[in-house]
Amino acid sequence: MTTDELKAMLIDETLFRLDELAATCTVTREWVIEHVRAGVLLERAGADPLGWTFTSHDMLRAKQLYSLELQFDANPELAGLVVDLTEELERLRARLKREGLALD
Amino acid sequence: MEFKDYYQTLGAAREATADEIKKAFRRLARKYHPDVSKEPNAEARMKEVNEAYAVLSDPEKRAAYDQLGRDYQAGQEFRPPPNWDAGFEFSGRDFGGGADFSDFFAELFGRGRAGGQGGRFDARGEDHHARILIRLEDAYRGASRVITLRVPMIDEQGHVAMKDHNLNVRIPKGVREGQVLRLAGQGSPGIGEGKAGDLFLEIHFEPHPRFRVEGSDVYSTLRVAPWEAALGAKVKASLPVGAVEVSVPEGSQNGRKLRLKGRGIPSAPPGDLYLVLEIVLPSATSAKARELYEAMARELAFDPRRGE
Repeated sequence: MTTDELKAMLIDETLFRLDELAATCTVTREWVIEHVRAGVLLERAGADPLGWTFTSHDMLRAKQLYSLELQFDANPELAGLVVDLTEELERLRARLKREGLALD
Repeated sequence: MEFKDYYQTLGAAREATADEIKKAFRRLARKYHPDVSKEPNAEARMKEVNEAYAVLSDPEKRAAYDQLGRDYQAGQEFRPPPNWDAGFEFSGRDFGGGADFSDFFAELFGRGRAGGQGGRFDARGEDHHARILIRLEDAYRGASRVITLRVPMIDEQGHVAMKDHNLNVRIPKGVREGQVLRLAGQGSPGIGEGKAGDLFLEIHFEPHPRFRVEGSDVYSTLRVAPWEAALGAKVKASLPVGAVEVSVPEGSQNGRKLRLKGRGIPSAPPGDLYLVLEIVLPSATSAKARELYEAMARELAFDPRRGE
């Protein structure tokens, strides 16, 4: 069975609010606030959490942070470091690909 | 359905303590981490490990599984006996891995069987997350794609099984690698009056034989003859969608990048398309070609290693 055509919305056009991000990442809003305040989520954040908006990238980052903390009991800073390194790895892999070079 | 030996998956003994289970899980979670693992099938193994840990780390689920699994071996044909889970109460919260877990897991611990006796309540359905591969051309034009998801469905008897669910999705033009699309209401159904969850699709591009993508910029190699690079020329270059005539500036060297502004992925703002020049030398196999090369060698005062 196939449905009628569904319109997909790009998150980066609508953006997430605090509660939506928390719900989709299955974390509490306190968890999100803690991680923004720790500097590992959302690059530029104002003082009021209700004014924060999150992109696709923030959502994927939050999910990765949460999964690392759950799997390894990592604290937010350590999980943040691992996600930063993973992103750097992806960036460098993309550059290799752009130059047409093999990964290994 | 085959019986799954979760202890075997984690490499842990049946009498392992909660702490030993956790250690075994962490060791494997590191080994099969999809971003760094060099192991074959790392992603599939990680899913199995997650599933095994979801059961063995939860005391109630583990107790129920232990009682059930005493007489089974991995891979053995398996049907759960009726009311096998009587006396156990699962929290159901670990079903977040939803679509990633096996039929075996869904049958035993699916949400339809979780708790159940409590009063009526409303809750929003869970969101689902999946990755999709699209072609670069789809990002230029937009595209319709049928996406098949494995989702847990509850039948009339309250059993949960994984079923294929096809969705016909309109992908908007201008999407970039790593962006996420939201399909409202296409996640798990809500409970009671609760709204359905959403489906999130993370975009990835299939590797393209000619184009490489970075963010919204697109790169391609443009092969030119030495005289086209030296004297300048108008040459035809194909783009992911359509083709253009580009001017190769006089005096271009190998590796020079020509920028076609706004011809990358049509996001807001649109990316650029870069043509990286690759000068291809004609072979000197014919007498005429040899003669021309020899004339250049004789008459041009050219030393490519000058200044080294």
